[in-house]
Amino acid sequence: MSAREDTARQPRGSAIRGALVHAFLIAAVVFAVYPILWVIALAFSESVVPEARALPLPTNVSLDHFVAVIGRTDGEGRWMFARQLWSSAFVSIMTSVVAIAIATPAAYALSRFEFVGKDASVKSLLATQMFPGVAASVPLYLLLDAIGLLDTLSGLVLVYATSAVPFALFQLRGAFDAIPKELEEAAMVDGATRFGAFVRVALPAARPALAITALFAFMSAWNEFALAATFLTREEHYTLPILLQSYATEHDANLGHFAAGAILVSVPVMALFYVLQRQLIHGLTSGGVKG
Amino acid sequence: MSLRARAILLVVLSSVCLALASTWTTSLGAAQDGRVSIFLWHAYGESEARGLEAAVDAFEANEARAGRDVHVEVTAIPFGAYASKLQAAIPVGNGPDVFVDAHDRVASYVEEHLVRGYGPLEPEQAADFEPTQLESLVYGSDLWGVPLSAKGLVLYVNLDLAAARSLETLEDFEALRDELPEGSFPIAWELDSTYASAAMFHAYGAQHIDAHGGFALDDAASAAALARMRVLVSDETVPSESSGDLVRNLFRSGRAVAAVSGPWLAPDLPPELRYEVRPLPRLRRDDGTEAALQPFATIESVFLASHDSEAGEGTSEDRHRMARELALFLAGPEGSRIRAIEGGHVVCSRSAWADPALADRTTLRAFRDAAAAAWPMPTHPHMSRVFGPVDRAIRKVLRGEMEPAAALAEASHRFADETRPPPDRRDPMWGIVVLSSVLVIAMLSLVRQLSRPEVREGLVRSMPAYAWVTHALLAVIVLVVFPLAVGAGTSFFAGQGSDLHYVGVANYVDILTARGGDLFATGSFWVVLAVTVLWTVVNVASHVGIGIALALALSRPVLKLKTAYRVLLILPWAVPSYVTALAWRGMFHRQLGAVNAILDVFGVEPISWFAHFATAFAANVATNVWLGFPFMMVVTLGALTSIPKDLYEAAEVDGASPWEQFRLITLPMLGPALLPAVAMGAVWTFNMFNVVFLVSAGEPDGSTEILVSEAYRWAFTRGHQTGYAAAYAVLIFGILLVTTRYLPGATGGAPRRGKAA
Amino acid sequence: MTSLSLQRLEKKLGGAPILRGIDLDVASGELVVLVGPSGCGKSTLLRTVAGLELPDAGTIRIGDRDVTLLPPRDRDVGMVFQSYALYPHLTVRENLAFGLTLRRTEAATVKARVEEVSSMLGLEKLLDRYPRDMSGGQRQRVAMGRAIARRPSLFLFDEPLSNLDAALRAEVRVEIKRLHARLAATMLYVTHDQVEAMTLADRLVVLRAGVVEQVGAPLDIYAEPASRFVAGFLGSPAMNFLAVRRERDRLLAPGVSLAIPSTLETPKELVLGVRPHDVRPTSEASALSFEVDVVEAMGFEAFAYGQIKDATHASPGTFIARLDEDALRTARHGARLALAVDRAHLFDAATEKAIGRLGFDGERQPSIEATP
Repeated sequence: MSAREDTARQPRGSAIRGALVHAFLIAAVVFAVYPILWVIALAFSESVVPEARALPLPTNVSLDHFVAVIGRTDGEGRWMFARQLWSSAFVSIMTSVVAIAIATPAAYALSRFEFVGKDASVKSLLATQMFPGVAASVPLYLLLDAIGLLDTLSGLVLVYATSAVPFALFQLRGAFDAIPKELEEAAMVDGATRFGAFVRVALPAARPALAITALFAFMSAWNEFALAATFLTREEHYTLPILLQSYATEHDANLGHFAAGAILVSVPVMALFYVLQRQLIHGLTSGGVKG
Repeated sequence: MSLRARAILLVVLSSVCLALASTWTTSLGAAQDGRVSIFLWHAYGESEARGLEAAVDAFEANEARAGRDVHVEVTAIPFGAYASKLQAAIPVGNGPDVFVDAHDRVASYVEEHLVRGYGPLEPEQAADFEPTQLESLVYGSDLWGVPLSAKGLVLYVNLDLAAARSLETLEDFEALRDELPEGSFPIAWELDSTYASAAMFHAYGAQHIDAHGGFALDDAASAAALARMRVLVSDETVPSESSGDLVRNLFRSGRAVAAVSGPWLAPDLPPELRYEVRPLPRLRRDDGTEAALQPFATIESVFLASHDSEAGEGTSEDRHRMARELALFLAGPEGSRIRAIEGGHVVCSRSAWADPALADRTTLRAFRDAAAAAWPMPTHPHMSRVFGPVDRAIRKVLRGEMEPAAALAEASHRFADETRPPPDRRDPMWGIVVLSSVLVIAMLSLVRQLSRPEVREGLVRSMPAYAWVTHALLAVIVLVVFPLAVGAGTSFFAGQGSDLHYVGVANYVDILTARGGDLFATGSFWVVLAVTVLWTVVNVASHVGIGIALALALSRPVLKLKTAYRVLLILPWAVPSYVTALAWRGMFHRQLGAVNAILDVFGVEPISWFAHFATAFAANVATNVWLGFPFMMVVTLGALTSIPKDLYEAAEVDGASPWEQFRLITLPMLGPALLPAVAMGAVWTFNMFNVVFLVSAGEPDGSTEILVSEAYRWAFTRGHQTGYAAAYAVLIFGILLVTTRYLPGATGGAPRRGKAA
Repeated sequence: MTSLSLQRLEKKLGGAPILRGIDLDVASGELVVLVGPSGCGKSTLLRTVAGLELPDAGTIRIGDRDVTLLPPRDRDVGMVFQSYALYPHLTVRENLAFGLTLRRTEAATVKARVEEVSSMLGLEKLLDRYPRDMSGGQRQRVAMGRAIARRPSLFLFDEPLSNLDAALRAEVRVEIKRLHARLAATMLYVTHDQVEAMTLADRLVVLRAGVVEQVGAPLDIYAEPASRFVAGFLGSPAMNFLAVRRERDRLLAPGVSLAIPSTLETPKELVLGVRPHDVRPTSEASALSFEVDVVEAMGFEAFAYGQIKDATHASPGTFIARLDEDALRTARHGARLALAVDRAHLFDAATEKAIGRLGFDGERQPSIEATP
């Protein structure tokens, strides 16, 4: 945006309009941040009981909740938070790696090739997104048991990754559609195989969309609770959302711990969003959620 | 079997084991020298878990001293997943050998074949428990569990506020009302929950359930109890719309003279608070007689799983014996003593309390006294279905929307609906015929397709493409489509757990005809569908509206702090939705919530957000809008960058106002980019379970449920009617599939091709 | 260098025939331009030669190798795309080296070639830039450089100049011609621009609807178009066509009366093709009677747009006539001019094939040269 254009685009009365825009944005930011501030206030408060106040300020600032959540050990003195953090990180990172690895070649084929059954596959993939998962958890449990992956992180990765595949496919197909196919043709004329052209040209050109798709797959695994709680048994395998949930159960609730845990769980995702915000905007558009 | 015979058997068995083991030692190192390892599951929180683990350590040490190598693997399972996990894991050998759970599940566990009987206890072992507590674990003629500890509601009395007053009866508390300042209450009591209010019903001689599992709260005594509860709330002896948090908060802060709560409250009380734990007060009935308020007692018990855990070690006999010994040790005097001292368990073992270390634990002893006098929760499997309908009835009466008798009649009806026997077994012949003819037709058409030369030619030409997609399709088919299809298949079955039978389309008929009830009553499929559609439309419209407005504001060429705004506005997307949902639920709390606190600043009376459909629905929508607008904003921001600037310049030259520019250029140009996102968002919102389930939880009276949360309720809280829930899921799927066909951009659409030369 | 030979090439896309039996031979070192309107199959033909599409029938030989079924990488061709298809994640240097690196060429050779190509095309200062930071003309050069660096035996150009502005286009056109001379390479060049076609081609191939309409040296085709289509496609402004009727030794239409040799055998319904340059205003009794509508004067040349008409009727269509300086002075809207015809083409109205070429060398006595 050149400076010249800037001034050219400013009609009279723009000062008032600018102020209105800022007012609108500030209102939106307050709406967006207010509940988060409450969680933060709760996490840093000494008291575990929420007070009826309009301003989200902690009462008696203390780090006790964080210390308790992070320093948690089990009966045998194992540092559970570290183990569960590792579980969460392992499962989420592997989920995004596996989902991307499965979805990318298929998305490329959907974008570039015509084949018998393509339309039917795309429609079925879309349909899987409409089926409520409530019916699938028991069959999945039996399936994982049959292949001996129950209570393993790999089993969880497998389930998360495959359920992330349909969305990743749509996302990436859109991204590949936006890449001119001449790029790969040029590479093939230059001496690459079809696969070589895909790896050397199409993949690098789709990097923003790949980053976003990986982020979504990561998030879906990082935040999932219900399946993880059903499939995992050993406490050292638990992912962080299970830990969080245990702080929010009915009788034994510890909302301060819950809030501290929620912040610890959210911070990595927020950091990823911050780093990837540019890709987020452009990755989502070039990819679009083209169904 | 006499002790002597048993000893001989043991010797024989162990020598056989030794002989077997010695032949295996080379190949199977782990099984050597009779090591036994078993699994113990529990759902305790941290402090209680400490007590259990200490007792287990003592057990292992005892065994080691006796020369036996015993290992007990203790696992804490998250409370929310505990029951469903036991049901799934035990039958396939992934479960524990021993587990701790509440006594009232005993009947369900026996019916589902998840537990093993104990056989007769030694007389001195049996004599160590309250007879009522032990009896509650008998089902049929067998004993299925032994009591570990008992939990029930007690009265916490703030000694400073109570001073020297006599607070023996509920009426004494009512009399306190006028002495207290505004915002303080005689008793903080979560009266609108079935569990916490049970003592009131008991005091009037009412029972929740009869011996045959029928609803018993629909008599005159129950109505009288409910009417009395309404008086307690209306004269502000007890706060209205109470919750666990509010009870804790009022009592902690000295704004309640007493609180009705369980042992879990004690750890949260500040050390400077002087309080005493007592049994619940008595109640003076209208006829002048006095009755005790007997709360429900939950007896945490230890059960033996019916199937061995596959991961355990040792022979089945050894493990069964060891599991039983562990259970009896934990419940017995020594285990109980350790649990009480280390974990503050209110243990059931009588002799444990004789320990001098427990002599000065007055609070703990008070809990124990209260629990011994409490009313063990009925064990009939239908008991768990009482809670939902009665909760709703109590809330309606306490809000003044309904008379007690009518509300309880409605609850009775609802209970009957939820516990109705599953549809009759049908001959699966027709199902098989239909299924196989569909398969045959599909096969035939596939064969016919394949016999057409152009299709075969197409297949040959598609081969290279298949190399790129097969793995993905296989993975999705096996791990996504197949489980969903199996799930959909269960919609033709009824029953609970693994006890399913084929019922044809009866589940669908029941759902679509509202099980013979009023088609337009709250909770009927059609009304829930209408709510769901309203929910989806309002949410998506708000997401799109707010998203576009923010994106337009953010894409202004001169905007200070643009990046800061953008980062802050994306934040809600990065927070897990269940955290958000719980945070928002807290913010809409009537007494403690921030929303009412803000309204208070502007002088607005506090609103009972979850007491009316409109406000509860609005609370859900606010939460979901908060969750969803960043996605739309980001998609719009991206789409805006692809609109050529010269279009606006052209429009400006043509004299279009900013609004006309938006309407004539921005909106039509955004359309193609936004439509798929909108369609996807609509599908997600339609199935947005977290928000409805966690924020309003269907309040008031189930009116804010949407289809998917209704399905979850049938699957998890209304007695695991998996088939019925699956039928809901299939209907949701069908509705979405049909709707999206007619939504532009939502379907797969024409295959997009690169630019053709 | 290598020759290219196509035999009976056929290709269908989505059921519609795109190429319908193409035969073409390109000699070693020759620059052949494929020209035709959009949708004629010229790009498909080029892509088939590159191996990006496989033909349904026919053979493709490059040199003495049958490459019909070989993948693109094994054909040893270099291609310049209309969109340039530069790899956005690679610098210019990496773009130029891409093909060589893929073929595991030694690093020193790669470096030498990149330097050679970049100095040849004046890219030295751009080597470390990314495509997104360059102008259209610079990208176009990189695209050509990428093809040249590999020294393929056959160069393919797919409308490489269509995204450039007019001035730059003329400049690059000359450069390609120079490169062709310098590299002495065999080149197949696709364009829809007749100026490029005329100026670049050693030999011109006019394609229409998947069929070769005419092959020949550009000037030969200009002078002797084999069909009304070719005649209308080449030449600027385009040839005028007038529907005429043969009456013994005259061709007649409203405003048209032209003598032809009576010996010539023709059908009765004919199309007369007259290039704007082949008419001349005259004061004598003339073949064409022209009414001026608009005049376009460019300094070095001037054209009048109008209609051929007699007192009552007009022949359909706009007629364009080149004006000399005298006529330019008098030509105004509504003015009537008598036009003499120096040269004209005759086409069968039904088949649109050329029948013959008429010459009127001053004496106004028609000579005829029948098209073979």
